[in-house]
Amino acid sequence: MPAHESDEALAVAFAAHDRWAFGEAYRRYASLLYSAAYAVLADADEARDCVHDAIARLWRSPHAYSAARGNLRSFLVVCVRNDAISRLRRSGRRARLQERLAALPAESEELVIADPIERDRVRRALGALPDDQRAAIVLAYYGGKTHVEIADELKEPLGTVKSRIKLGLQKLASALAAPSERGGRS
Amino acid sequence: MNDGHVGDYAALYALGTLSDAERARVDAHARHCDACARLIGAAESDVAAIVAAEGLLEAPQDLQARIERSLRGVTALAPRRERALWPLAMAAALLVGFLPSMVFWQQERAMRETVALQNAAIGRVTSGAHRTAAFRSSDAREVASVAYGADGSWYVVVVPNASKPMHVVWMHDGERTMLGMAMPHGDVATLYLPKSHRMDTLALMDGSRVVAQAQLTYD
Repeated sequence: MPAHESDEALAVAFAAHDRWAFGEAYRRYASLLYSAAYAVLADADEARDCVHDAIARLWRSPHAYSAARGNLRSFLVVCVRNDAISRLRRSGRRARLQERLAALPAESEELVIADPIERDRVRRALGALPDDQRAAIVLAYYGGKTHVEIADELKEPLGTVKSRIKLGLQKLASALAAPSERGGRS
Repeated sequence: MNDGHVGDYAALYALGTLSDAERARVDAHARHCDACARLIGAAESDVAAIVAAEGLLEAPQDLQARIERSLRGVTALAPRRERALWPLAMAAALLVGFLPSMVFWQQERAMRETVALQNAAIGRVTSGAHRTAAFRSSDAREVASVAYGADGSWYVVVVPNASKPMHVVWMHDGERTMLGMAMPHGDVATLYLPKSHRMDTLALMDGSRVVAQAQLTYD
């Protein structure tokens, strides 16, 4: 198994649907993928199932990832997170997500690599957003709501909400990337 | 989506605010539109940065072995998900009904996860003008078939009696371009290919060996 391959080589092999690349991608990003699922589902068994099923789904879906998509790690994180949100919506437990993730700071005995400085940066970056953008981002990221539901809750037109989410996400990511970006691997 | 492209939906996709159906449409579009794939990739990087900054958990020790087993074709599924099989079985049965020369569709658990692709393939086959062609071996035996859009915008390859993945290749100008793998589910392997151009010769390959070829015709 070419575990020594660069992230770029791994992405190329993943796009080509090489089996070793799927196993290696999980090995390399396991912590981040599991954290993404757990943050949404707040249940270890469900998070485990979610990560497994997401990787298996991609394995059975040729062309899901291409080089044009860019960073494989980011692609996998969003795949797992989206799958987790879908599970949560199906189970009707979204209130639990909102309660858990809105807690500052999140408390979990399983949080073994907690980085209070980084988490504080997220909170500060979120706080620095204009009110309307922050409201949309909080409902989207922490609330697990669809953009239609967000528009309904904020009583704003759908197009306005889409723009606020887009701008808010860009500003939030810029603020997090600015002083000290974290390493590429989990 | 705007004019068929992703636009603002890239951020909505990455943040998880789209419905499952909208998400499937974005995924399908990104497979053949590099500009939109890049847009989505940028938004995915933004969201991944937030997820990473929120703090990381150690993944369970047993998960890696479970994933490796699935990648080798042994799928360990949670019993409570059995209920989700009926819609998939219906989708698979529909696909069989519309594709030529397909002898049987073996339902199995793992196919649940391909339902989005299968639905897209079914939608293509049932909603527009299409043609079919046979993959023939060197002794003229029909070993597989392909249904494809009359405009070359999509292809569905079906390989009955398949025991392992088969590469599907586009033969053109003396070259071979790898298109993807037809993955077996039960004893039938399938591959759905959204494309933007017409391909007139496709081949099935087992490793480096060409097993069969199909000649596709257009108006």
